[in-house]
Amino acid sequence: MGLFKRLFGQITPGKNKVRILCIGLDNSGKSTVINWLKPKKAMAQDVVPTVGFSVEEFTKNGLSFTVFDMSGQGRYRNLWEHYYKEVGGIIFCIDSTDHIRMCVAKDELDALLEHEELRSVPILFFANKMDLPQAVGPVQCVQNLELSKITDKPWHIAASNALTGEGIDEGITWLGTQMGRAARAK
Amino acid sequence: MAQSSSGASDMAQQGAQWLQGLKETAMSMTQREKKDEDEGYSPFHGLQKSAVLQECRCFNDREINARRCITILTKILWLLSQGDKLTRLETTEVFFGVTKLLQAKDQQLRRLIYLVLKELKPSPEEVIIVVATLTKDMNSKMDLYRANAIRVLGAIIAATDPTLLAQIERHLKQALVDRNCFVAASALVSGIHLMHVNGEVVRRWVNEVQTALQSDNQSVQYHALALLHQIKRQDRLAISKVVASLTRTPLKSALAQCLLIRFAKKVMEEDPSGETRDRALFDYLEASLRHKSDMVIYEAASAICSLTNVTQRELSPAITVLQLFLCSAKPCLRFSAVRTLNKVAMVHPIAVTPCNMDMEGLINDGNRSIATLAITTLLKTGSESGVERLMKQITSFMSEIADEFKIVVVDAIRAMCLKFPQKHRVLMTFLSNVLREEGGFAYKKAIVDTILIVIGKVPEAKEAGLAHLCEFIEDCEFTLLSTQILHLLGMQGPSTQDPAKYIRFIYNRVVLENATVRASAVSALAKFGIQLNYLRPSIILLLQRCLFDNDDEVRDRATFLVALLKGIEGGGVGIGGLNARQLLMEPLGLPLHAIEISCKEYLAKPSDVPFTLANVTVAPEMLQKERKAAATKAATAAAADNPTTARAAPERHVEAEADLLSKLPQFVHLGQRFSSSKRAALSESGTEYEVSCLKHVYSSHLLLQFSVNNTLEDQLLENVTVAVDVSSTPGLAFESELPCSAVPFGQPGDTFCCLRRVEGLPIGSFGCTLKFLVKDVDPAKGMPEEDETGYDDEYHLEELEIAAADFMKRVPVVDFREAWDTIGGGCEVVETFSLSYNSLKQAMDAVIDYLGMQICENTGNPAESARTHTVLLSGVFLGGVQVFAIVNLRTDSAKSVGMRLTVRSAEMGISQFVASSVA
Repeated sequence: MGLFKRLFGQITPGKNKVRILCIGLDNSGKSTVINWLKPKKAMAQDVVPTVGFSVEEFTKNGLSFTVFDMSGQGRYRNLWEHYYKEVGGIIFCIDSTDHIRMCVAKDELDALLEHEELRSVPILFFANKMDLPQAVGPVQCVQNLELSKITDKPWHIAASNALTGEGIDEGITWLGTQMGRAARAK
Repeated sequence: MAQSSSGASDMAQQGAQWLQGLKETAMSMTQREKKDEDEGYSPFHGLQKSAVLQECRCFNDREINARRCITILTKILWLLSQGDKLTRLETTEVFFGVTKLLQAKDQQLRRLIYLVLKELKPSPEEVIIVVATLTKDMNSKMDLYRANAIRVLGAIIAATDPTLLAQIERHLKQALVDRNCFVAASALVSGIHLMHVNGEVVRRWVNEVQTALQSDNQSVQYHALALLHQIKRQDRLAISKVVASLTRTPLKSALAQCLLIRFAKKVMEEDPSGETRDRALFDYLEASLRHKSDMVIYEAASAICSLTNVTQRELSPAITVLQLFLCSAKPCLRFSAVRTLNKVAMVHPIAVTPCNMDMEGLINDGNRSIATLAITTLLKTGSESGVERLMKQITSFMSEIADEFKIVVVDAIRAMCLKFPQKHRVLMTFLSNVLREEGGFAYKKAIVDTILIVIGKVPEAKEAGLAHLCEFIEDCEFTLLSTQILHLLGMQGPSTQDPAKYIRFIYNRVVLENATVRASAVSALAKFGIQLNYLRPSIILLLQRCLFDNDDEVRDRATFLVALLKGIEGGGVGIGGLNARQLLMEPLGLPLHAIEISCKEYLAKPSDVPFTLANVTVAPEMLQKERKAAATKAATAAAADNPTTARAAPERHVEAEADLLSKLPQFVHLGQRFSSSKRAALSESGTEYEVSCLKHVYSSHLLLQFSVNNTLEDQLLENVTVAVDVSSTPGLAFESELPCSAVPFGQPGDTFCCLRRVEGLPIGSFGCTLKFLVKDVDPAKGMPEEDETGYDDEYHLEELEIAAADFMKRVPVVDFREAWDTIGGGCEVVETFSLSYNSLKQAMDAVIDYLGMQICENTGNPAESARTHTVLLSGVFLGGVQVFAIVNLRTDSAKSVGMRLTVRSAEMGISQFVASSVA
């Protein structure tokens, strides 16, 4: 049955559409992550700071993703919550070289975790910019953001380098399976 | 059998029921159809806002149902267009819901999303969220996305943050010249909207807009022209250049053509040279009358008809075209034609007469609006004999037309009344009848105004008119009209045959109406009391009853007026140097504000001398304020489309303002003003600083009032004065000047220069120089920098001339011949001149201008072909000496006119002075 469903899903991708939200502080690499996931010919050459949000689409592992790539600039952060409703999953990008603002990221994350609409929505963390020397490891990020305290929803952290795509596929695959499980549970 | 029969009857019953049902459905259907015709049935009729908002939840669904969303978005748009307001919270919710739909690819849905985003007008903090998405769409391959994204983005930037424009300017510039007409038009329209908020950026697009103007597409060309005009709006010269060049190469788009006609008309109207009309532009208008599109033809015709001081000959081609429209099968054309003709008929009734036949046919037009306009036009152009017939026609359907057209009818009747005063009885009866009917404020006001004007112009109609008005205020729901009528009763009532009968009507108001009406009724009563001795005791009695009114204003007025009336009884004098009659019946020559300040000063430092109005002074700032107020007043009068009052108002206003000048504290010693000259320009219009001068003559002084207009947007002029070099003019000495503290861009200011007449009557011209301190201003902010010190500058002006005419006041006499004989030939001077003018009329106008005297006994209109003509002139010379002149003109040759000037006055010196002033 599982195999059949998988095949069927491949043929009619419309059936397996998921909507996810990509958030994180400004300059943490959200748009770059999404950019790398896009089909080769749709990729943008240079990534500029996002104003507001932009909608992107790509297919991975038989799932067709619709991503709302939100802007991370301070003035837009309080607008994130308008997009929480009916969302399938969340990608939270962390700039692992930005030690100073890690606490800001934690504040934003805490507010997000508290939110009613996001109960049991899987969260994928990207500890981004791993290529840079001053980057801290994913374990350090987990400690800084106190991720171990999250109990009510599945989460996963992946070390990534969005410029080369390192670690991103792994993360998205995890998110895909989580969301698939959630869909089946319904 | 029984069963079968019962079955048959069943069937019959069912059949009957079925038939009945069918009939009912048919009935209801016809009813609904009828309803359709009446109010335009809408599928969204009775839509509830809350229900729609509820439905909006489906925007959050994981799978977007495009069909359903399209319906919901349409409903939202319908609600918004019906004036339903969404609260802030609702807007936010809908807006974010809609932004989620941006992931959809359905074209139809997409289009509606753009529309909703634009119409919702979310708060600036929120709307910014879609900027990135829209920017992306603007670069997409789909023309539909691009065009719509440009429009929405333009609207967002205009509403929130103009600086964002710099980021997308590059894309917009490309879009302006895009091959796809929809995209190009969208960019142009956005440009028009953005012009208001960030003009600097848009102005850089001139080249692209020029290219777009060459487009083959109708709407692109139209919008390009509109934007080009917006960009060059500030620069009159550039506009006229653009218009001139475009009129030579015909535009393909009819819409653009219409727009160009409007611009051309504007250029013609604003032409600084004024007198001579731009021939080329007028020819263009005339050529447009032969265009193949009805729209352009009408636009051109209406432009020609609305030109200021258009001549009969210029009008005739336009009228001919409109006449053709009158017989058109399209109601729209008939309506616009008859409406324009109706307007023309106000000013040029004769020009419209040729259309009378066609218009007669329109009286019975099925469209009431067309019929009304046709009748009112006929009323204006028709002859006296047709009045009764037309009035009957109007009365038959007066109740069927809208208020707006009723006003048109009333306006036409006003014109009629003034044209045929003998018919006032018929017309007044009509007016009083319509006054009794139901109607809105504007309509009632038009009727009352008409009656007021007719009363003013046709003395025989006064009694009847006042009676109608009295009846009207008995049951009038509009306070403003009641007070207006009460004031009129107060002014006119006392001079009628039986003034006492109005007292009852007025006093009824005191008993029955609201405070405002009561107060004006009290004032009106007092006016009767002041003018009519035999009524005074009774009026004092009536007023005393008002002393216990519960409104302050009514009580105050009553107290004051009772005191005043009792004062007259006791033979006392009035207040502030004015007697009771002056106080109540004549307008005060001073702004109330100035009197208030003077009173306060007097109260602060009371003296033994009683306060009089003669000592009130006016500050220059107040003068400015007064002028502004009067200007707006004149503008509203003009807007009310009442040609007689609109024209008279500014003149009267200039006089009043000049009288106020001697109330300026600096110039109190000048005394009573003798006369003021016409405004003379000291610089050409369109130069950096436009300066004009008014000369006011006082018994021993000359006050020069310079109006300075700064046309440079980036400058602020301070401490502005005009230096006058009187050294070359004997008999004049500089006394004082009053600088204008600041002249910002576009707000003219006044500076004064006072000259003393030392001896004789100084005549000549002298140089003037504008002196000022310049501060640079950022046009965007409109204010100079704090630390800007500025620098002194001068600006050379043309010479100011003082002529004999400046010392002369135009005063007419009733019987010229008698006055001429009375004054006798004792101080008569006769001179003959040969003047080099092309025509008699030109020569006459010039001579009258030189003398500055009033034409008497209508001698100012020589026949076109006359070779000789005599003009009678009268005036009062400085010092109050009456002067009369007879000018005999004779055409000597094509280039010269002979003149004999005979001047008589009480003093030889003055006669000689006047006679020599022509030389």
